[in-house]
Amino acid sequence: MANAAPLIAVRDLRVGFATEGGLVQAVDGVSFELVPGEVLAIVGESGSGKSVTAQTIIGLTRSPNARIEGSAQLGDAELIGASESELQGVRGERIGMVFQDPMTSFNPVYRVGAQIVEAIRAHRPATKEEAHEQAVALLDSVGIPDAARRIDDYPHQFSGGMRQRAMIAMALALEPEVLIADEPTTALDVTVQAQILTLLARLNRERGLATLLITHDLGVVAEVADRVLVMHEGRIVERGSLDEVFYAAKDPYTRRLLDAVVRIESAAPLRPPRSGAALLEVTDLVKHYPARRGLLRREAEPVRAVDGVSFSLRAGETLGLVGESGCGKSTLCRAALQLIEPSSGSVRFAGREIAGLSRREMRPLRREMQIVFQDPYASLNPRKRIGQIVGDPLELQGVASGDALREQVLELLGRVGLRPEHYDRFPHEFSGGQRQRIGIARALALRPKLIVADEPVSALDVSIRAQILDLLAELQGDFGLTYLFVAHDIGVVRHVSDRIAVMNKGRIVEEGPADQVCERPADPFTRKLLAAVPIPDPHEARARRAAAGPA
Amino acid sequence: MGAFVLKRLGGMALVLLAVSVLTFLIFNVIPNSDPAVRMAGKNANPQLVANITEEWGFDDPLPQQYLTMMGKIFSGDVISYQGQEDVVSRIAEGIPATLSLCIGAALIWIFFGVLLGYLSAVRSGGLLDKALTILAVAGISIPVFWLAAILLNYLAYETELFPAQGYVELTEDPLDWAYHLVLPWVTVAVTLIGLYSRVLRSNMLDVMDEDYVRTARAKGLNESQVMRRHVMRNSLIGIITLFGLDFGALIGGGAILTEAIFNLNGVGQYAFESIENLDLPPIMAITLFGAFFVVLFNALVDIAYAYLDPRVKLGSATDG
Repeated sequence: MANAAPLIAVRDLRVGFATEGGLVQAVDGVSFELVPGEVLAIVGESGSGKSVTAQTIIGLTRSPNARIEGSAQLGDAELIGASESELQGVRGERIGMVFQDPMTSFNPVYRVGAQIVEAIRAHRPATKEEAHEQAVALLDSVGIPDAARRIDDYPHQFSGGMRQRAMIAMALALEPEVLIADEPTTALDVTVQAQILTLLARLNRERGLATLLITHDLGVVAEVADRVLVMHEGRIVERGSLDEVFYAAKDPYTRRLLDAVVRIESAAPLRPPRSGAALLEVTDLVKHYPARRGLLRREAEPVRAVDGVSFSLRAGETLGLVGESGCGKSTLCRAALQLIEPSSGSVRFAGREIAGLSRREMRPLRREMQIVFQDPYASLNPRKRIGQIVGDPLELQGVASGDALREQVLELLGRVGLRPEHYDRFPHEFSGGQRQRIGIARALALRPKLIVADEPVSALDVSIRAQILDLLAELQGDFGLTYLFVAHDIGVVRHVSDRIAVMNKGRIVEEGPADQVCERPADPFTRKLLAAVPIPDPHEARARRAAAGPA
Repeated sequence: MGAFVLKRLGGMALVLLAVSVLTFLIFNVIPNSDPAVRMAGKNANPQLVANITEEWGFDDPLPQQYLTMMGKIFSGDVISYQGQEDVVSRIAEGIPATLSLCIGAALIWIFFGVLLGYLSAVRSGGLLDKALTILAVAGISIPVFWLAAILLNYLAYETELFPAQGYVELTEDPLDWAYHLVLPWVTVAVTLIGLYSRVLRSNMLDVMDEDYVRTARAKGLNESQVMRRHVMRNSLIGIITLFGLDFGALIGGGAILTEAIFNLNGVGQYAFESIENLDLPPIMAITLFGAFFVVLFNALVDIAYAYLDPRVKLGSATDG
């Protein structure tokens, strides 16, 4: 395969963006070749330049501030500096592209089929009927059930996984030689991710398609890639076959990245079982949302977001709550903390019934229970300084003011690994990981007993994830905290939890010690969830594929 | 879709009912004065007041009064006691002029608003964009009466390029009809052209950043297809909302000043004169006339919106 003439040859590609602070070199001298039939993965964290590289190749880096140099050849044709009309002939026709977020990558006002038809007719003189027929066949080939009917749906009527399948069908409509897939499974649940990866592998095998896979997820890479490039700060720091990169990485950054991956097999350091009193006891908690249908708004079956959930959380332990998007885990957390009113059921906090308490009655209890949110970008007020963000809860609850307040905030910042000079800065001056530290400092300010961490690391890069998880573990010991740790990533959950509860369709389907749930899962849904997690280890991934038999 | 349209039209009927009740209350039930005296106007005498009280049933209970008033308006039996003329037929006479003004101005403001907004967005940050921005802000800031005065002074009185006054029936002489309406059209349109070009420009800049526009380019569509089918189509949804509201409001009374300045004898001018004379019956009838158009175009906007953005329909079917 390595001897075949390259389909795409990139030579010394540089992309800089002129900003107020000078030229930012996003891609800094990248060279690689893509040969027919291979899956080449470009791995890197956010800001590494991997997406900019891919988009620049097909001329989609359109900012007027971009400075592009170097060469990218498709066969004999030079793509860098090519005219718009030349590039239009390449896009879709010779290089298909799939993007990260299938929710936003389709135009919401056109039917799915119409958008595929549009792609076909942009390049071929097909009639609408011919193109429509072809689109049905394409949707069918990527596994959309009842394609002839579903083709007339609008994008919002498709699930996330179906949308990504349709996006792949559209990218393949004109049988391109190259597929560029930019984080194609990042926005999907892990079981759906597994299906999409299988689909991509099948298409690659059946059509001899060359695939350039852009991803931050080493698990995904181990599942499907033949060769790997690791990008860091605009440069390729490591390149080689899958095994070379995973088992014999030369570059220190690559090794750090591999070490940072929280693997599902890596159990948490063994901790003595907690025998303390129950801090949070949830019994038969239900949250239903009424639904109404039709012209007369008749009452329909309610949406059972949380459908009779019970669990208890002992002081000082960590309970991991895992489930896919829409399973009700966030609703459960909010109902347990009385941020929304449960439909029925009981919630006891430190022995006291809190379900049904009024806002005023809850107020003194609020300081005992705090939340760390998923998105460290959206959950910090951009107009407030860090000192104020962290100090606000202290001031509001009347704990401290003036110099004492400042002192306490500075101490908190120190505890989460931030420096005193950060006190007067604004959130936008910080990286994602630092922002999450700020969120943790804010949650810690009132010395709570319980912290609900709602997907605290899923928006962060892998190398940062481990740091934040370590910080949470350290703080748990120091402050005697109890965690309810919510995540969709069972690997991360296992890493931090004493016990794990698996949630599906509003119910807890399995609960038990972390090792037991991960190694001897009793419930079929848990088994499905575990089987879908990509393993960042090529040997094991191969072994598992072999065991599963030909797909 | 059919159910949605029915629902919106039903809602519209309810709103109209509420508006009519409100109008009734404002004009006839405000305390401390006799509605018949106010209705009689400047030259009230005891006999006329007695007649009006009898005719409008002002001694009846309120619900009865309301029904009498609605009956009179819908059967066209409303008299201006000052002008001694039939109010409803006078409004009907004014409708062609008002519609001519509003529809013509709407075509102009939509055409230029969209064109200038489009150019501004496509050349965003460039010289043309900056020039158009200045023009748009100037257009938005110019008061209608000032613009009308300037146009009249320079284009009608001094150079005599356009007629200063009057309305010619379309059926009588289409060219003369348009000729007489050019200045009023421009007067109404200028502000709205400025506003619409700004709104469209910012909508388009937002849409251009959407992922689906990148997808459209990645499929190999050419730039004009990307702009037309994806950027414009999605940006116009907001413009249509705005247009329905503005157009309804324009027919419903927004053109009063323009009609009066150019002496077009439309409904707006009739409203203007009636207000000047404190002539209550026509003011009441015209208020309902205006409310009807505002509510009608609101409902049409909602229906158009559901048609243009399929997510709206789904929302109405399965929300909750």
